Amino acid sequence: MSAYMTLLTPMTDQACLLDALADLGFGAALVEVHATPVRLEGYGGDQRTQTAHIVIRRHNVGVASNDVGFLATATGYQALVSDFDHPKLGSGWLAQLNQRYSAHWSAKQERLAAEERRRQEQERQRLVEAQRQAVHDRAKAMGYRVQETREGETVRLLLVKRTY
Amino acid sequence: MLLNLARTLARSAANGPGERFVVWVQGCPLACPGCWNPDTWAFGRRELHSVQDLAAIILATPGLEGVTFTGGEPFAQARALAALAAPVRAAGLSVFVFTGYDLSELTLPAHRALLELADVVVAGRYRQAERTLDLPWRGSGNQRVHFLSNRYGPEQLAGLPEVEFHLSTDGSLAVTGFPTAALLGRTTAG
Repeated sequence: MSAYMTLLTPMTDQACLLDALADLGFGAALVEVHATPVRLEGYGGDQRTQTAHIVIRRHNVGVASNDVGFLATATGYQALVSDFDHPKLGSGWLAQLNQRYSAHWSAKQERLAAEERRRQEQERQRLVEAQRQAVHDRAKAMGYRVQETREGETVRLLLVKRTY
Repeated sequence: MLLNLARTLARSAANGPGERFVVWVQGCPLACPGCWNPDTWAFGRRELHSVQDLAAIILATPGLEGVTFTGGEPFAQARALAALAAPVRAAGLSVFVFTGYDLSELTLPAHRALLELADVVVAGRYRQAERTLDLPWRGSGNQRVHFLSNRYGPEQLAGLPEVEFHLSTDGSLAVTGFPTAALLGRTTAG
């Protein structure tokens, strides 16, 4: 039985981790994702003590390999790679995985920031339009004529009612 | 020479004829009950502007018909406002003044200097009991519009905007002019 080498990696986002695994050749068809952790298996089909949420089964890793897993913890996914598989999926591979993860993580943060900026801008535009419409509606209801002009980005609404 | 101001508005069409640069001075000794701008009563320092700098800003603002002095009480800073009005008038702009005093009360040399540069003065205390919605540029029926030059006449009083809203990019509304309480309440409540 090979001892597992356990590495802690600061990978917290499941989608980014799956994308990173796909980049390294372990696409969705080769990876199991579980809501609750499952036991890993050794090369002989034996149940190992380690459990993981994300599992690459041994036959997808290599001949005589053990399962590779990623266990979700409070500090991120913990990689579980056996000593036997270390030459192939050891620290070098984990470093590559981490680089890919970081790239996906950064892209996701930029995407979310852009979405948030877009959402805030839409909300601002909605508020300005609602205020503008409210002035129009209420002024007209009270018998005012509304003249609208723009001063830079400020909307100016002039209310004219009576003729003297 | 310095002016103590409450605020300015670079362009308004509801504070006199045409597009006007509006100057709200800080400080008023009259404190009329029901005044719309009680924050401008105190004589403490608020925004100090040099007359020269403010004149340059006004003259650099395109498309203006003139300036309007209000407040606060403009004649409490008559000397500095006269110094501001002089280059403004020389540049072809008109001068419009709202004051809580009657013209007969404005007898000091500084008062006369500002009056000589004014095209229109709306004069008189604001009297809450005589609040009116029917007279242009006036809040109460006792106030009088005095045309002191040939530039404007009573015909200019017709069809002018009474209320002006400035809607900023963040959705906030600023209001100026002579809104009815109902319009103000209903509009800003929404």
